Amino acid sequence: MSSLKRITKELNDLGRDPPTSCSAGPVGDDIYHWQASIMGPPDSPYAGGVFFLSIHFPTDYPFKPPKISFTTKIYHPNINANGNICLDILKDQWSPALTISKVLLSICSLLTDANPDDPLVPEIAHLYKTDRPKYEATAKEWTKKYAV
Amino acid sequence: MPCSISVKLVAAESLYKRDVFRSPDPFAVLTIDGYQTKSTTAAKKTLNPYWNETFKFKDVNENSILTVQVFDQKKFKKKDQGFLGVINIKITDVLNLDSNDTYNSNEETITRDLKKSNDNMAVSGRLIVVLSKVPNSTSSATTSNTRTTSRSSRARSSASNATVGATANRTGSSAGGSAATAATNNSTTAANGNNNITTSTSRNTTTPASASNEASNTESNSANNNTTHQLSSFEDQYGRLPPGWERRTDNFGRTYYVDHNTRTTTWKRPTFDQTENTANSLQNTELERIQHRGRTLPESSSASASNSNQDITVNTNNNSQTPAINGSAAAALAATGATTSGLGELPSGWEQRFTPEGRAYFVDHNTRTTTWVDPRRQQYIRTYGPTNTTIQQQPVSQLGPLPSGWEMRLTNTARVYFVDHNTKTTTWDDPRLPSSLDQNVPQYKRDFRRKVIYFRSQPALRILPGQCHIKVRRKNIFEDAYQEIMRQTPEDLKKRLMIKFDGEEGLDYGGVSREFFFLLSHEMFNPFYCLFEYSAHDNYTIQINPNSAINPEHLNYFKFIGRVVGLGVFHRRFLDAFFVGALYKMILRKKVILQDMEGVDAEVHNSLKWMLENDIEGILDLTFSADDERFGELVTIDLKPDGRNIEVTNENKKEYIELYTQWKIYDRVQEQFKAFMDGFNELIPEDLVTVFDERELELLIGGIAEIDVEDWKKHTDYRGYQESDEVIQWFWKCITEWDNEQRARLLQFTTGTSRIPVNGFKDLQGSDGPRRFTIEKAGESNQLPKSHTCFNRVDLPPYDVYDSLKQKLTLAVEETIGFGQE
Repeated sequence: MSSLKRITKELNDLGRDPPTSCSAGPVGDDIYHWQASIMGPPDSPYAGGVFFLSIHFPTDYPFKPPKISFTTKIYHPNINANGNICLDILKDQWSPALTISKVLLSICSLLTDANPDDPLVPEIAHLYKTDRPKYEATAKEWTKKYAV
Repeated sequence: MPCSISVKLVAAESLYKRDVFRSPDPFAVLTIDGYQTKSTTAAKKTLNPYWNETFKFKDVNENSILTVQVFDQKKFKKKDQGFLGVINIKITDVLNLDSNDTYNSNEETITRDLKKSNDNMAVSGRLIVVLSKVPNSTSSATTSNTRTTSRSSRARSSASNATVGATANRTGSSAGGSAATAATNNSTTAANGNNNITTSTSRNTTTPASASNEASNTESNSANNNTTHQLSSFEDQYGRLPPGWERRTDNFGRTYYVDHNTRTTTWKRPTFDQTENTANSLQNTELERIQHRGRTLPESSSASASNSNQDITVNTNNNSQTPAINGSAAAALAATGATTSGLGELPSGWEQRFTPEGRAYFVDHNTRTTTWVDPRRQQYIRTYGPTNTTIQQQPVSQLGPLPSGWEMRLTNTARVYFVDHNTKTTTWDDPRLPSSLDQNVPQYKRDFRRKVIYFRSQPALRILPGQCHIKVRRKNIFEDAYQEIMRQTPEDLKKRLMIKFDGEEGLDYGGVSREFFFLLSHEMFNPFYCLFEYSAHDNYTIQINPNSAINPEHLNYFKFIGRVVGLGVFHRRFLDAFFVGALYKMILRKKVILQDMEGVDAEVHNSLKWMLENDIEGILDLTFSADDERFGELVTIDLKPDGRNIEVTNENKKEYIELYTQWKIYDRVQEQFKAFMDGFNELIPEDLVTVFDERELELLIGGIAEIDVEDWKKHTDYRGYQESDEVIQWFWKCITEWDNEQRARLLQFTTGTSRIPVNGFKDLQGSDGPRRFTIEKAGESNQLPKSHTCFNRVDLPPYDVYDSLKQKLTLAVEETIGFGQE
């Protein structure tokens, strides 16, 4: 099982060399289903929050990207109410060289620097561009409400 | 002491699936002691019907047995009545009838597995029933459930008599069954099922159940009495039905609604909104139908722009009109088709006669043939050699007569065409000159047309004498076509096709069979049947479903589908279906390669491509094996012997990619594909179809659609260009000048298929959702345009002059196949 081997390897690497501010591991016996957590970056309105994500590996991983979604509610132009993330490396920019660790770090940096030009939630993106303080206030409020 | 009970039939689950292609419309018949019978409405197309209907039964005693039988409403008139199972419940096993606790209804929910009848037909699933005792105080109030009452009251006017009869009939038949076991009950009902009203009524008088009969009759009557005025079948107490709908009552007295717009029926009362929705979806189908009807192949395009390039031109007998010869036309046939009488005497052995309509024709007693053409008009066939310098002229008569059953005619533009009365087909090509068009130096623009002409001229593709009748019901087109097409021999199928839709007038002179292939392709390729699935690339190209074996008959169906595809090609009818490019290659026995993966699974394609271009050691930990998920279970497949123990390295990764691609696209569906080809090759010999390439095969099977350039232009995005840029203007100028075949080829080049979405270019899909057609500024002006089919994008270099753009674009579209060719 190529995918199984690869996922196990990634799990071992995560244990040996855990990335700062995130963690990830299988939910139960199913090695294809993980849960991950990300600490809100200190320089972002998400600071202080802990966000949980669910990760599903396809059977042809790493030929295909993992399916990752937020299970904690978050106010962000590129993440919608269902927790779906609009991130190019999870779609057409996926490469087999990427790992869960690298993807989680990319998501961390998406929290710091949103990409309002390719939004998943146009209303939030609009606010982000036109009234940044209000966007940050709402994001902070949501973080306090759902992620602390 | 007798008392009343209430029975709520909640639902059934996991009913037996007796038909591969459709689910039953299950309804249940409840009987107590064989004489009180109620039935539920029919649930639509489900194996898990939910009825949630409550019925009351009176005179229940400690020996009473409740029988619940489930039938398929669609098959109720068949011999087995669509029997789906039965349960028997002894009431006292569930309820304590002696309890005098009138305040506690003593409700019990039970789940019972459905049992077989004596016929021993397989059944499965279970029923959920809620039984409760009705408090004594109400037991005398009504004997019937409220539902029936309201239903009867809705069924008025002319239907009211039927209601009475039907109710009586139902009671009568079950009375005949008496308190027998379920199995007997079932067969008795079967025997009585078709009894007419009179017999069952007379039976009523002899049964001990007359009390309950009276009750139900009174109930219906009282319902009728409530009717103060008569309603037509196009309205009910809620007002008029939407246009095209009619209210009817079935032989159980149940009201149903007929939608004459869609020729469907439903139990649900239609609302106007619903009608609009249906109308919308109908409109879509109609749109598709129109698109489909417009499809052609170059050989048959008569009024299109390519006419000026047709090889055949008409000349008069005195040659005063020179045939239009253009650069590419190398063989021109000049023949007169004049049908007016000439001058002078007829040649010896000839006679002029007139048809009843007064049209003159000529009988050649020498050859015992007839013709419309006056033999006194000299006819010449001009054949231009490849170099256009040698002109051979010979009278038509030297070619000999047309084959038996053939006729030469003129169009209203005075162009000669030939009618084959044997097959009721027409063609531009003189049947006596099958090869005259093949002496040309191949020029690509005309290549497909030429290939089609050659292909059609092969003896194996001649329509055989006789007729092949196929009769189907519109609503059961897949099943019926399967039966009809599989029972005939391939030789029969090569006869002139005569399709008939059950209950519809109209002889098949082309239109009916076009409609047949259109509708059938929607059905047989519908992913719902699990034979085909949409590719991951977009949502309209289809591929064989590797898991199709869930239908144990799948290989027979693939053979059938192969036959239908072959039948369409053979009889020049188009299918409204587009396969992934790899499948066309497979039909042509070509090897599938990495670039074919793009149309099958763009993500996998990108990853394999990444592997090819990057150092994989230490990054990808692969062996020569693949993981396949089969209904949730992961299976490891060796891509070569003992592959799972062979590491993939930078040295052998190319082999791995080849094997993986081959496995993913071909090996997984090998069995299905073989069955498909067996069917296809029964009509189309393998060595003939290989004259086409995979893109041409797509056009041969699906036809070339009329492409709306304005719509295309309107829904195009630009990257690095503005719509007003000269190059973009040139691009559209070029597209406008092209014919449909070339436009279709440009679409194949940029989007992977020649298919246009039903609603036009605004609905174009890419590998990751909607993707409009995009022109990106990329490359040098000495390079050819490139395409990215995943993103419906063409990389167009900024060419300096129009001619250069046209030449490069034409070359790219016509000569290159697949992604990223330079």
